[in-house]
Amino acid sequence: MVGKPQHITIAFDVMGSDHGPEEVVRGAAQLSLESPHIHALLVGDRPVIDAALAGIKHNGERISVHHAADFVGMDEKPGEALARKPESSVAVAARLVAEGEAHALVSAGNTGAGVLACKRHFQLIPGVRRAALATVYPTRGVRGAKQDPFSLILDVGATVEATAEDLVAFAVMGSAYARIISRNERPKVALLSNGIEPQKGPPRVVEAHQRLSQMTGLNFTGNVEGIDIPRGTVDVIVTDGFVGNVCLKMLEGVHDTVMELAQYAYKESLRWRAGLAMLSSGIERLKDITDWEQYGGAPILGFDRIFIKAHGRSKARAIANAGKVAAKAVANELGTAIQEGLAR
Amino acid sequence: MSLPDRIDPRPPRRIYRWDLDKTYLQTDFESLRDLFRTAFQKAHEKVAVPGASALIRELAEQGDSRLCIVSGSPKQMRAVLEEKLKLDGVQWDEFVLKDNVSNLLRGRFRALRGQVGYKLPVILESRIHAPVEAEEVLFGDDAEADAFIYSLYADLIAGRVDERVLSQVLEAGGVYPDDVARVHEAWKKIPVADPVRRIFIHLDRLTPPAHFTAYGPRVVPIFNYFQAALVLLADGHLTAPQVLKIAVEMVQTAGHNIITLSNSFQDLLRRGLPLQQAAIALSQAMEGPNALLKAMRPVPDILAAFSKRLAALGTQPPPPKVQAVDYVSLISHALPRTHKGRSTKPST
Repeated sequence: MVGKPQHITIAFDVMGSDHGPEEVVRGAAQLSLESPHIHALLVGDRPVIDAALAGIKHNGERISVHHAADFVGMDEKPGEALARKPESSVAVAARLVAEGEAHALVSAGNTGAGVLACKRHFQLIPGVRRAALATVYPTRGVRGAKQDPFSLILDVGATVEATAEDLVAFAVMGSAYARIISRNERPKVALLSNGIEPQKGPPRVVEAHQRLSQMTGLNFTGNVEGIDIPRGTVDVIVTDGFVGNVCLKMLEGVHDTVMELAQYAYKESLRWRAGLAMLSSGIERLKDITDWEQYGGAPILGFDRIFIKAHGRSKARAIANAGKVAAKAVANELGTAIQEGLAR
Repeated sequence: MSLPDRIDPRPPRRIYRWDLDKTYLQTDFESLRDLFRTAFQKAHEKVAVPGASALIRELAEQGDSRLCIVSGSPKQMRAVLEEKLKLDGVQWDEFVLKDNVSNLLRGRFRALRGQVGYKLPVILESRIHAPVEAEEVLFGDDAEADAFIYSLYADLIAGRVDERVLSQVLEAGGVYPDDVARVHEAWKKIPVADPVRRIFIHLDRLTPPAHFTAYGPRVVPIFNYFQAALVLLADGHLTAPQVLKIAVEMVQTAGHNIITLSNSFQDLLRRGLPLQQAAIALSQAMEGPNALLKAMRPVPDILAAFSKRLAALGTQPPPPKVQAVDYVSLISHALPRTHKGRSTKPST
């Protein structure tokens, strides 16, 4: 387990993001100006990084570069790509974190490759059998000292078939993360099921419910249904990777459909357009509240090192925020908090 | 005085020219409030840029150099500035301040903020008295026009700028006729030589380094004075133990650490500066018991941090190309920062 360091170095997988390496470099540069205690280790094609860095405002004392010529593209199969490209930026960055050159990894590239690179280079925390990929989702409610409008859903794809034991570990990990990142002292944790009654759901969910109900130190509130996700009824929603991924994609689909409908309405009729214009300040407010860029990224939980997966569409601000989230997780010893939670 | 008693000082082999605000001193004059605060600060309240005084002291160690300070601060601040330099153990040979009261009384309002018409004649006049073989290293910052003025100065005395270009630049820079005359007069008295080795630009405002590419590799933007010391080690102006002394001062007084120093080292390598030999010299200087370095960190850690930053880069990039500087197109860099004609975009 990594101890509490005075200066935190975050390794950024510079390649593989939708907006190209320049955007990741810009994010790290922004971080170098804003956070004196965080150092950025940029892993990727050095000439590209140098060219990008030379033209933007940054603090050279807080940035270093590690050359990696290869990278895994968004459309590549993770396993095959990593086998073919052992010196890809995400693999090298994960290795550097494992070797102690950096304390955490941030990547906006191929999610599968990121998870796989972590599996190869990091160790699972004692008591954790499977890692969980978490995501943040904007909700109606706010939570914690930061008035965080996001709830955490895990797992959304790292462990497709989770056992009851895995679900319990996910609950502990999610709770520790929400406590540290959202400064939410007692995050409400729930299992996603097809009914709120304890006996509802497949056997693994029923068994996980029983175990979680008996755990001290965890604010387990029982089961929630799909409708509770956008309502923000709880702070951490626990499910397996299969269901979580289906939920996540459906929620993204709803968001896209609403946006398309708004665009349709805007084009279709002057009256509707006027109506939208009248609502514009409210829409802007909604955009501010649900701005995922302020969150930066979502963690892969369960490893002894921190990995924050930034969205592929992340711009500089989101990358910088992902770096800050990673540094916060390191500074607050997330791994230790998870281990302690599992021991209870 | 009998003849044997009258021993003239050795002619300087090296001349170091320094700006003061934001180059040597951490000065804020972004707002009127900052300006007032700076004007009324006492000597002990003024803070030097980390490593600057240590660097100046180490450069003076050889005993054959001159320190010439030319600052845009008003003459009225001389006493407090001199006291600050003395507190820092800095000894100077020339110290020129701007006569803004005279500019005000004469209605020369452009001269209040303009730098070209002030600094260029002063440093040219200073050069008249220097031995032709004396090398020069210049220190400025990114707040004003230092890269432009110092480069123009270097190319003027090296004969790489003709009279037509100089006239165009002085006109576009809004230089008053009497200062134009001083520039031409001093320039004519200086024998043609190419003495300027380096121009360091302290990135006080963190201007992107590419902004200075148009001035060629002679101009080295630096994030801190450890970087300047490394380049001066490679250029033969400092020894490795001297560089380590500067680093230790930065660690002890300004919160620098092994990460910031090794990142600074790598930053220069990535910009193509040939520092491999300097790195070897530093490693050798660290061998054996060294009480100075114990204050910083165990020696193996320092070596490991620097070696890792070096190894992380793979092949060294080629050094930046030497090129002629197009002063006419860069004139916007010489205008005061708030001038509407000033370009903020980095040069390519």
